[in-house]
Amino acid sequence: MPRRIVIVGAHAAGVDAAAAARKTDRTAEITLISKERRIGYSRCGIPFVFGGHIPRFDDLIVYPPTYYKMMKLNLKLETTVTSINKDAKTIGTVDKAGNTEILPYDSLILATGASPFVPPIKGREKQGVFVVRTLEDGEQIDAAIKTAKNAVVIGAGLIGLEVAIAFVERGLQTTVVELLPQTLPAMLDEDMAKIVQTKLEEKGLRVIVGSGVSEILGGEKVTGVVVGEEQIPADIVVVATGIRVNNQLTQEAGIALGETKGIKTNMRMETNVKDIYAAGDCAESMNLVTHRPLLCQLGTIAVRHAKVAGTNAAGGYAVYPGCLGSSVSRLFDLEIGATGLTEFMANKSGIPTLVGTISSKTKAEYYPGALSIKVKLIFDKESELLIGGQVVGGEEVTQRINSLSFAIQKQMTLRELVKADTAYAPPLNETWEPMVLAAETALRRIR
Amino acid sequence: MVKVNGYDVPEGLYYSKDYEWVKVEGDKVRVGITDFAQKQLREIVYVEIPSAGTAVKQNEPYGTVESVKSVSDLVAPISGAVEQINEEVQSKPELLNEAPFNNGWLLVIKPTNMDELKNLMNAAQAVEWHKSLLKEG
Repeated sequence: MPRRIVIVGAHAAGVDAAAAARKTDRTAEITLISKERRIGYSRCGIPFVFGGHIPRFDDLIVYPPTYYKMMKLNLKLETTVTSINKDAKTIGTVDKAGNTEILPYDSLILATGASPFVPPIKGREKQGVFVVRTLEDGEQIDAAIKTAKNAVVIGAGLIGLEVAIAFVERGLQTTVVELLPQTLPAMLDEDMAKIVQTKLEEKGLRVIVGSGVSEILGGEKVTGVVVGEEQIPADIVVVATGIRVNNQLTQEAGIALGETKGIKTNMRMETNVKDIYAAGDCAESMNLVTHRPLLCQLGTIAVRHAKVAGTNAAGGYAVYPGCLGSSVSRLFDLEIGATGLTEFMANKSGIPTLVGTISSKTKAEYYPGALSIKVKLIFDKESELLIGGQVVGGEEVTQRINSLSFAIQKQMTLRELVKADTAYAPPLNETWEPMVLAAETALRRIR
Repeated sequence: MVKVNGYDVPEGLYYSKDYEWVKVEGDKVRVGITDFAQKQLREIVYVEIPSAGTAVKQNEPYGTVESVKSVSDLVAPISGAVEQINEEVQSKPELLNEAPFNNGWLLVIKPTNMDELKNLMNAAQAVEWHKSLLKEG
């Protein structure tokens, strides 16, 4: 009898897990279940549709329906999983017509994702208050932009800023409000975030940090928000204050959660319940620097989890070692990126740090069009191992972050990085790569 | 060249519903995957085909084509003996993406029964079938 693999969730983690399972077992019966009507799309692309960089929301659908047909994947859409019976190895489902079904599985993969968390702000139920997660969310916001003049985004993380920038690009007077004292608090240290904030303000985005929205104003429909003593007008409010793991199914099935409230897994992405795996935003990772659990809810992590979970669920063998939370974005024309620990996070984890920072150019000094770039490196003071890096600048940030990520994974030391071999040509880089210079400034502090 | 929504469906070929094409060359046939198939699979990284002399049976898998994100069985569009294989696609699987109807061919088969071609679609039928695939999608 063919192996029955059931996957709950059908976006980055679910579909990639299905692909890995199919590659491992060519005869397995693989079923993907999703609450949504449209599946296999990129959530990360939604803000870039608002900004007009991507023409249509449907362009975000990475896997067309024909893909599932060719891969022989069964789909159950607009269907909710209501229960897991780990002893009988079955799940219960209900579709939108209310039909219930009991599905048996040999392997089950939970790719249930996460949901936006909306803090209990007074007035949050008003029309015009949105979250950004699904294509439907995106379409509603896009429709609202067409008649709006003022927007407020609550939360200055990556999603919040990407959305706020899109609003500015669409001509809305936009304010982003962040409770913590800086933008991108999970990604950058305050000194690096300052550069970002200045750039955002130059481009016409108002940034308020260190203050929360205490109330959302309006009748049925939103008209503004209160921040401190000030009332800020808004026809659209987007709440981007983070996401919470969808772990509703786990308790009944006895699936353990970790200290991050994400589903706890071993390196094979298997939960504490045999033959039940977890992948994507719902699953915990291990931080490669601190070796502590980490919720790393990024697309890159989702597909890596999924490849491992899908392979193992189909009888193969694969392991996921952990992550550094490497992430990048482009905010207006400013590229930003980070990997590993920030100085703040390292100190919070009790790791004494040694830091090197350099401001440089992305091309030879004399080459027209050279842009500013700032690199910050964080080393463990005792071992002198590289444990984190941040880059803010005009171009080539992604590949610098990737290089730093490789260096951290290969446990490169400060002194090795100072002597690292790098490439140069006037239109492409300085003779001294900024990452090497940043390491040198760190070394100078202990010489 | 006939195109359905950007997918090539050349005339003069037979087509199977397992996304393969068949070209009659005298008493033999040449076989490959369709443009639709290669576009769904995207960057093809691995092709597994049987060696010459192997017997294949209509509607049964004879090999595998794998891309970065997917994998698909190759299903024989006709029964017979494999006369010749395209060795080049094994080292250059990207040929299936670049020229699925030409340099990306897979096998030359000596069919045991040419009547089996009746079970396949002609180009006009294949055009309609492609349209129905896209409509369902």
